Amino acid sequence: MYASNDKELNLLDKSSLEFAKKELAPGREENDHFPFGPFFGHVVDKAFELDFFHIFLPEDLGGVGHGIRALCIVLNNICREDSSLGGIMFTNAFAQSLMLEAGATEVLKQISDKAGSAGEFLIACPVLSDPARSPMGLSADRNGENYKLSGKIDYVVLGGMAGHALLPAAIPGEDGYSWFLVDLSDPAVIKSDVVFSHGMHACPAVDIELKGVLADLVGSAGEGNLYFRKAASVMQVAAAAMAAGVMKGSLEEALDYCRQRRQGGRMIKDWSELQMLLSNMAVQTEVAQMLVSRACMAIADKEKDWETRAGAAALHIVSSAADVVSDGIQSMGGVGYMKDFGQEKRFRDTAHIQALLGFLPLKKLDFIRKLL
Amino acid sequence: MVSRKQIKTYLQREPKFDDIMCSLRATGRQAKGIIGETKKVVAIARRFNEEFTSSYAYELDRKMHQDPDHLAWEVVKKANEWGFYTMFIPKMFGGKGYAIASLSPFLEEIGSVCASIANLIGVHYLGFVGLATSWNMRLMDMICREVVNGEKTGNPCLMSFAMTEPDAGTDSQNVEFMDTGSLACQAKKVEGGYVVNGTKIFISCGHLSTWHILFAYTDLQKASENMVMLAVKTGTKGFSFGKKEKKMGQKASVASELVFKDCFVPDDMVLLDRSQIAGLSRTPREVTEMILAAIWAASRVGVAAFGTGAARGAFEQALRFASSTEVDGKLLINHEWCQAMLAEMYKNVAVGRIAYNEGNYANGMDGAFKLLNLKPIYYLSKYTPVSVFDRIMKPLCGLSFTTWISRKIAFDFMGDAEVDRTDGWGSLAKFTATDMGIRNARMAMEIMGAAGVRHDERAEKILRDSKLYQIYEGTNQINRVNLFKRLVARACPGSRCFSEDNI
Repeated sequence: MYASNDKELNLLDKSSLEFAKKELAPGREENDHFPFGPFFGHVVDKAFELDFFHIFLPEDLGGVGHGIRALCIVLNNICREDSSLGGIMFTNAFAQSLMLEAGATEVLKQISDKAGSAGEFLIACPVLSDPARSPMGLSADRNGENYKLSGKIDYVVLGGMAGHALLPAAIPGEDGYSWFLVDLSDPAVIKSDVVFSHGMHACPAVDIELKGVLADLVGSAGEGNLYFRKAASVMQVAAAAMAAGVMKGSLEEALDYCRQRRQGGRMIKDWSELQMLLSNMAVQTEVAQMLVSRACMAIADKEKDWETRAGAAALHIVSSAADVVSDGIQSMGGVGYMKDFGQEKRFRDTAHIQALLGFLPLKKLDFIRKLL
Repeated sequence: MVSRKQIKTYLQREPKFDDIMCSLRATGRQAKGIIGETKKVVAIARRFNEEFTSSYAYELDRKMHQDPDHLAWEVVKKANEWGFYTMFIPKMFGGKGYAIASLSPFLEEIGSVCASIANLIGVHYLGFVGLATSWNMRLMDMICREVVNGEKTGNPCLMSFAMTEPDAGTDSQNVEFMDTGSLACQAKKVEGGYVVNGTKIFISCGHLSTWHILFAYTDLQKASENMVMLAVKTGTKGFSFGKKEKKMGQKASVASELVFKDCFVPDDMVLLDRSQIAGLSRTPREVTEMILAAIWAASRVGVAAFGTGAARGAFEQALRFASSTEVDGKLLINHEWCQAMLAEMYKNVAVGRIAYNEGNYANGMDGAFKLLNLKPIYYLSKYTPVSVFDRIMKPLCGLSFTTWISRKIAFDFMGDAEVDRTDGWGSLAKFTATDMGIRNARMAMEIMGAAGVRHDERAEKILRDSKLYQIYEGTNQINRVNLFKRLVARACPGSRCFSEDNI
């Protein structure tokens, strides 16, 4: 995506891309073997040292305070090579964003101040779900100043590695649902093994069972859906930036391959059917980059109807990404399907990105219902 | 209104009636017994799924993630116990002799639950098709009987199809590319046989197979005129297995590298070479093209069945999820948008199935298995006891005359229109059904949301598996051009396919 003339953003653009090429690309296949191989903790630690997880958090809360545009630039570059780290960044940034919407700044500052490692800093969250849409698995009972959470919740991203989790729960007698911050080191938190998933293997999730775990209410009771919608309206563009990055990576690898490979004694790049396929990929990829940049601008400038524009951009990008990454494999034939290249991982990761923040068809319906 | 002559003339116009009405032509001409056989094999496949595939497929896939080098012998042995490797081998070679057309619905059934297990059974028949299209009756009889013996003894004997090369995927599949491409597997004629040097890659089930139907070339500059088909047995000196590919999906169906270093293959293991086709009226290049066309006509219909299976599996998983998951206070299946998506998915399965059935009808009437589908031969084969067949066919297959007359029928008596029709429908069925597979897999993921990405919810595996169908047996892009070449281009004077004119 485009960093424009902002020197700071340009620097971030270059450094995050260099990080992706040097730290992520070489170990992509090995890192993707998790949970059957080692976790790429050293890469996550390095990202923490470089403040990649602090980008979205305001400066007064211990963050870098660059906002959505910077977050999208970094996610875009990271996901060109390996979306797993992008998924970790996104999950943490979404949790932070939701807590900011709920006004839970003190808690965020405390976590930030105390954290000496990525694990202590990161906040887990079930970011593939929109809690308002499905039956609530957790209930919160008042316990003096606090609450006690009980029940089960599926696919809590980073649940196995983060210090805290931001979880939705229903308070008996209250309408709607609320968000709670839980200390994941509490012995009453029972975590499953890492859920084996389609893609983003190194962005691990667990199913969690809580048996009367002490939890802090985040924001006001019953306002969970409001906070989620506000955070999601911005963060859906971050998800789109991830998809745009994956598309870019897929296009780059496809072009590299097609410039070298021969078929029938000729370069395959000379065959017009393949050119057409690559052209469709390139057009969608460039459009995605432009849309993310434009959506970020609309959000940053609080333009009139920015939510509609950002929503349309995000839906377009995550929908078109599936075709691009599929063609990314197709352009390389059999080798595109193999783990020796990055295309097959991008194909899998895209399905995860599409599922971020809830069912894709429901996100489309939400979008049009606002206009109807 | 129209005379007989006029009818003939009008039906010869494009699109030719015979090309667009394969199923209608087959009505009445096809033996009714095939319907009963198809019902039976579908029932067998469903029982196999119920007793084995459904419970083991996901455990197997997880095992393959953990240990990519695992060879799924346990599946091969199970399929061997169930008699699947001889099921579609003609009775004249000792097999059970189910109609080849019933293989597709069988593969759809198994493939709807697990693509890998479907491949571990189905790919053996790709090897068989390669063997059969050489029309070397002696070797067909010998190898098929080893497969039958492997079933009796509990030692599975599978056939692989060894064509693709490291720098020559498509180059080996089309005569137009063979001479200018990068083929490198060379067979050098020496006294008493051939010496083979070269490497084959992406060979499905190579490590699990006993026999390998190998394609090599005596002259790499003119490969299309100098193709040699060889039967190479595992353990042959100079032949070894290389790496196993690490794939995104279909993990248990190993994609093998086969390495040939000064591998001597004796004359009696030569399925077909130039000397064996010298008496035919077709040129060597034409014979090569006809062999490839016959292989793809049959095998691509099989891949279409796999793709249809994937589309169906995705539909079934999405339906299961939608029937049991509440969203916005009601079951997903009661949301109109979801009903529309599920209906679209149902349609996609149906379209895939119609496509592979049309391909099968074309093959049954005009393709490599035409003779077996002729009613007298079909019923003779169906009701003649195996012991009688053995007494008659075994000696007959050993006669060089039998091979000669078979090739005469397969190459000289087969018309170009039949080749166009069967090969064209193979391509059409392949890219149609496999596109349906990936489309449905993606729709299932969309309907299932967060649950879709979980391995234990089963839909994600179908998405990974189904992508490969769009690639192997010729990418869907190549198949589209092949359809144009076979069924469209002849009506467009001046059109060229797979040539420099297309750049």
